[in-house]
Amino acid sequence: MTETVNGIAFAILAGAAILGAVGMLTTRNVIHAAFWLLESMIAVGGLFLLLQAEYLAVVHVLVYAGAVSVLMLFVIMLTLRRREDSVRPVEVSVAGAVMALVFGGLVFAAIASYGDRVAEMPETAPDTAALGELLFSRWALPFEVASLVLLVALVAAVWWSREEKR
Amino acid sequence: MLSGYWIFAPEVLIVAGAFIALFGDLLPGRDRTAAYVGAAVAALAAVLAAAGGTAGPMVFGQVEPDEIARFARTGIAALTALWALWVAGRGMPDERRRDAVALAMFAAGGGMLLTMAEDLIVMYIALELSTMPAYVLMGYRRRDVPGLEGALKYFLLAMLTSIIMLYGMSFLYGISGSTSFAELALEGSGMLGVLGVMLTLVGLFAKMSAAPFHYWAPDAYAGAPAVSVAFVSTVPKIAGIAVMARLLHAVAGDVGGLVTIMAVVAAASMLLGNLAALPQSDLRRLMAYSGVAHTGYLFMALAPDTSAGYGAAVFYTVAYAVPSMAIMLVAAEEGSDLTDLGKLASRRPLAAWSMVVWLVSLIGIPPLAGFFGKLYLFGSALSAGLVWLVVLGVLTSVVSAGYYFRVVREMFFGDEPAGIAALEPAPTASLALAIAAIATVAIGVGASPLLAALGVALG
Repeated sequence: MTETVNGIAFAILAGAAILGAVGMLTTRNVIHAAFWLLESMIAVGGLFLLLQAEYLAVVHVLVYAGAVSVLMLFVIMLTLRRREDSVRPVEVSVAGAVMALVFGGLVFAAIASYGDRVAEMPETAPDTAALGELLFSRWALPFEVASLVLLVALVAAVWWSREEKR
Repeated sequence: MLSGYWIFAPEVLIVAGAFIALFGDLLPGRDRTAAYVGAAVAALAAVLAAAGGTAGPMVFGQVEPDEIARFARTGIAALTALWALWVAGRGMPDERRRDAVALAMFAAGGGMLLTMAEDLIVMYIALELSTMPAYVLMGYRRRDVPGLEGALKYFLLAMLTSIIMLYGMSFLYGISGSTSFAELALEGSGMLGVLGVMLTLVGLFAKMSAAPFHYWAPDAYAGAPAVSVAFVSTVPKIAGIAVMARLLHAVAGDVGGLVTIMAVVAAASMLLGNLAALPQSDLRRLMAYSGVAHTGYLFMALAPDTSAGYGAAVFYTVAYAVPSMAIMLVAAEEGSDLTDLGKLASRRPLAAWSMVVWLVSLIGIPPLAGFFGKLYLFGSALSAGLVWLVVLGVLTSVVSAGYYFRVVREMFFGDEPAGIAALEPAPTASLALAIAAIATVAIGVGASPLLAALGVALG
C-alpha cells in the first residue's frame, strides 16, 4: 500500500520537477523562467520529504525556492531597464538536443545496467539533530572551508559592485 | 592530541595572511604593505609546509598530508609568495593590490587543502575555494568590459563543469556508500562506476584545461590582465594535478579503461595545445595553449597509475608553473603582444636572458627544471608501455620549440615597439623575477633528491 502511494507521489513530484525544468528552458520570458524554476525547486523539496529527509526538504524550500528565486526576481527587476527586455527568443539547438539525448541515454543505460544493487539503507532516516552533530564533528572541516568559499564570493561581489576612486 | 594538527599550520597561516591583506587599509603603508605582508606570510607558509613533514590520514581520514602533498603545498605557497612579491613591486593594472593578494592567498589555501584531500566532499569544497578567487582575478579590472566578459564566460563554464563533477560524485557515493577515497568500492560497478569517475574527472579536466575541455582558456586568458593569468594559469594547476593523482590512485584499480581515457586526453592535449600555440601572436593566448599542451604531458604520467608517475607529474607541475608564471609576469610588465617584447634584450638584458631560461626550461632542455620533469614524465609512461604516447610527447615537444623560440627571436632580433615609455624600476618585482629564474635552475640541479623524496625511482 505505502509502496503504491509512494510511487504515485514520486511520479507526480518527479514529473513536476522535470516539467519545471523544461518550462524554464522553453519560456521566452525570463520572469516566467524564474517562476518555473521555483516550481521545480518546490517539487524537488517534495522529493526530499518523500525520502524522509525533512530537514533537507525544509532547507531546500526555504533557501532555493524562497531566497534564491526571490533573489533572481530581484536581479531581473533591478537590471531590466525596459519591459521588452524580459522577453528573449528561445534558441533551439539541434546539436544541444542530440547531446542531451546521448547523455541522458548514457546515464539511463548505466543506471539500468547497475540494477538494484543499492547500498544498505538505514532503518530510520537520521533526524535533524543527528545531521547537525555530524556537520560539526565529522564534517567540520569541509563545513568551515565552505564558509571561506562564501567569504570569497562576498569579497568578489563587493569588489565588482563598488564604485570608488582609487 | 592536538599536536598533530601543527601540520596544517601553513594553511592556517596563509588564510590568516589573506585576512590581513584584505584589511590592508589599516596597515601603515596600506596597499603596498598588504602585498608585502601577503608575500612574507606565504613565504613562511612555504617554509613550514616544507619543514612540516608528512603524516597519515587525519581528520576522520578526510585529508592525508603525504609526500606528494608536502611538495605540492610547498610549491603553491612559494609561488603565491613570488606572485605577491611581484604585485607589491608593480601593483595590479588600474586597481589596488590588496584585494588581489587576499584572493590569491585564499586560492592558495584552498589549493593546499586540495592537495591533501582524501574525500570527495573535501575535494569539491577545496576545489571551489581554489577556483572561486580566480574568477575575480580574471575580471579584476572593473571598468574593462571585454575582460569582465571573459571572466564571466570562465565563471559560467567552470561552474557548469563543477556541477557535472558533483553529479558524477553522487554516483560514486551511491555505489560505494562513502565519500572517502579509501572507501570508494567501485569494483564490479560496471558502466555506472566508469560514468561516475568520468563525470568527476570532467570537472578536473576542465579546470586544468585538458584538451576537449580547454576552449575556455585562450579567450579567458586573452581578456584578463597578464598578472592575473600568471597566477590563475599556474598555482591551481599544481593543486589539481596533486588531487588527480590521489583520485586516480583510489579508483584506477577498480575501474577499467582509465589508462586509455587518460592517454587519449593526454595525446589530444599535447597535439592540440602545441599546434594551436604555433600561430598565436598574443603571449597570453600562446601560454594558454602551451598550458593545454603541458597538461597533456602531465596526464601522460598520471595515466599508468604508478606512484613514480604520480610523483613525476607533481614534480613537473611545479617545474612548469615557475617559468610559466614568470613569463606572464614579464608580459605584465612589457605588454602581452609578441611585438611588445621586441628588442627586449637591448632594453633589459637580464629580463631577456631570464626569459630564455624559462622558455628553454618549458621546452625541456637540460640542465633546467623542465628537462628532468619531462624526462621522468616520459620515463613513467614508457615503463607502463605507452610507447606511442611518449613518441607523441617527444615530437610535440620539438614542435613547441617552434613557438617558444619565436618569443626568443622577438626579444633579440625583433623591432623595438614604437612609443613605449621606459619602465619604472621596481626592485621587488625584479627580485621576484630573479628568484623565479634561480628557482628554474635550482629545481633542475636539485631534481634528484626532490624526485627521490617524491618516490620516483632514479636511474
